[in-house]
Amino acid sequence: MDGKIETSLKTKGGRSNFGKCVIAVLVAIIFLFPLYWLLSMSFKTDGESFGKLVTYYPHSFTLEPWIKNFSDKDFLLSLKNSILIAILSMTISIGFGVPTAYGMGRYKVPGSKSFLLTFLVTQMLPASLMLTPMYLIFNKVGLLGTYLGPALAISSGSIPFIVITLRPYFKGIPVSLDDAARIDGCGVIRSFLSIMIPAIKTGVITVIVISFLNGWNDLAYSMTFNVKPEMRPLTANIFKFQSKYGTKWNCIMAYGAILVIPVVLLFVFLQKYIVGGLTAGAVKE
Amino acid sequence: MSIAAKKRLEGYGFIAPGFLYVLLVLGYPLVYNIILSFKNVDVKTFASGTSKFVGFANYIELFHDPTFLLVLKNTFVFTIACLAIQFTLGFLLALLFSQKFTFAGPIRGLVLVAYMMPMSVTAMLGKNMFGVTEGVINDLLMKIGLINAPVEWLVSSSTAMIAVIAVNCWVGIPFNMLLLTSGLTGISQDVYESASLDGANKFQRFFYITLPLMKSSILAVLMLGFIYTFKAFDLMFIMTSGGPLNSTDVLGTYAYTLSFTKYEFSQGSAAALVLFCCLFVIGLFYLRLTTKEDD
Repeated sequence: MDGKIETSLKTKGGRSNFGKCVIAVLVAIIFLFPLYWLLSMSFKTDGESFGKLVTYYPHSFTLEPWIKNFSDKDFLLSLKNSILIAILSMTISIGFGVPTAYGMGRYKVPGSKSFLLTFLVTQMLPASLMLTPMYLIFNKVGLLGTYLGPALAISSGSIPFIVITLRPYFKGIPVSLDDAARIDGCGVIRSFLSIMIPAIKTGVITVIVISFLNGWNDLAYSMTFNVKPEMRPLTANIFKFQSKYGTKWNCIMAYGAILVIPVVLLFVFLQKYIVGGLTAGAVKE
Repeated sequence: MSIAAKKRLEGYGFIAPGFLYVLLVLGYPLVYNIILSFKNVDVKTFASGTSKFVGFANYIELFHDPTFLLVLKNTFVFTIACLAIQFTLGFLLALLFSQKFTFAGPIRGLVLVAYMMPMSVTAMLGKNMFGVTEGVINDLLMKIGLINAPVEWLVSSSTAMIAVIAVNCWVGIPFNMLLLTSGLTGISQDVYESASLDGANKFQRFFYITLPLMKSSILAVLMLGFIYTFKAFDLMFIMTSGGPLNSTDVLGTYAYTLSFTKYEFSQGSAAALVLFCCLFVIGLFYLRLTTKEDD
């Protein structure tokens, strides 16, 4: 009797497995098509990308749009700015966020509930709300037209994310690890840096990647606080290049593809970290 | 000093950096913004330092401005349409991808790339795909025979919002799917098995087991979705610049225009605070939900 049920379930599973795969592949095609479109456009010639006839693959394949971008001084400068802003904001976010997550996860202190509440509220603050006051404050303290200005603003969004994501990780470390560190004669700071952080490697990688991407993807802060195009990252210079290239969609798409590539690479290699981190930060389980 | 007091001090020492950072870099500007919205700071009064308090004048002016009312309506239309589409399709996909089959893992991951991409690139891509003659959307729709002539998606104020919503859903559906999948996989298989032994069919199982057990996941996804969608900025800024004729202007982009195109800083901060108040109401429910189960 038991055997019968099992086999009938199995054959049913086999058939529906194929059906589900077909649907899943269709879903993937629909969702990945825009990305394919971005890449395919970037390898088309000027005439083909502008043409009245829409082509679904580059009929005459060319690397010209990519070369054009990479040999443009303005482009290389923007790329450098993107990298600098992303690394600077990531460093600030990790430096301030991880110790706080540790303190909130492993110490029972009066007021910890209101600390947590503060971080949850700040996670909701939209960039458009912070732009005006930050612009006027940065203007007064001389932070407009620097890399630090946007980096500070971006980090203010990443830090609450780091605290909320890592706190449960730190909380989950068994107390015996603390005791072992104490017995080994580790000081508080050493045990945090060389025992606790390595113990939650997965979580730490997640927040490093996400806080890098927060900087890399930023548009609003960099655009508002850096008026000079030479200081702006790729995201904020999209308009400038759009008017520079006019209707040359192939060049604009190559520009976009270069912005997307690091994201896709990070994502492909660190998928499980990112997916786990995003869910942990958003929904309580 | 007692050991307990020393421990407490250590704890505060670790918590301090991030907490003080947030107070200084977010808290201070937030308070500054509130004060700003009750003054008359523009580019002239800011430079000369002659701004003064004007009470609710900025808010009164906003709510008498037909453009602002349109923008407010746009923001809600955009948010509610996106939420409805993202949630429904995201849930259907989550039901599919929470099952075990050959490609489930890799495809679920791939689809998420859309969510991680810079929104400015997504918006630019949307601008191209919804183009009138060069756009692939028109070409595909004409090939299938759904339309006879190209639609002027981003040129016409009656269709631009549809295009913007479609692009936002491309990002939002995978995100909803991810969060709902993790909720679904948390439901024990035993519950379903005992239900099917009791003769419950697929629909009964969905409505009497899945939905009730998913209640807190669903609420969290809807509220987070509201918070993320309501504050949209990058998408409209790059794809349509709020146009044509403010038809895709939302609170985020409108506040930016007031402050940084017209240099009416006080008006801009008042518009941004309206945005924040709407978020805060939904946010309070979200906070109650996430902190309730804690500790």
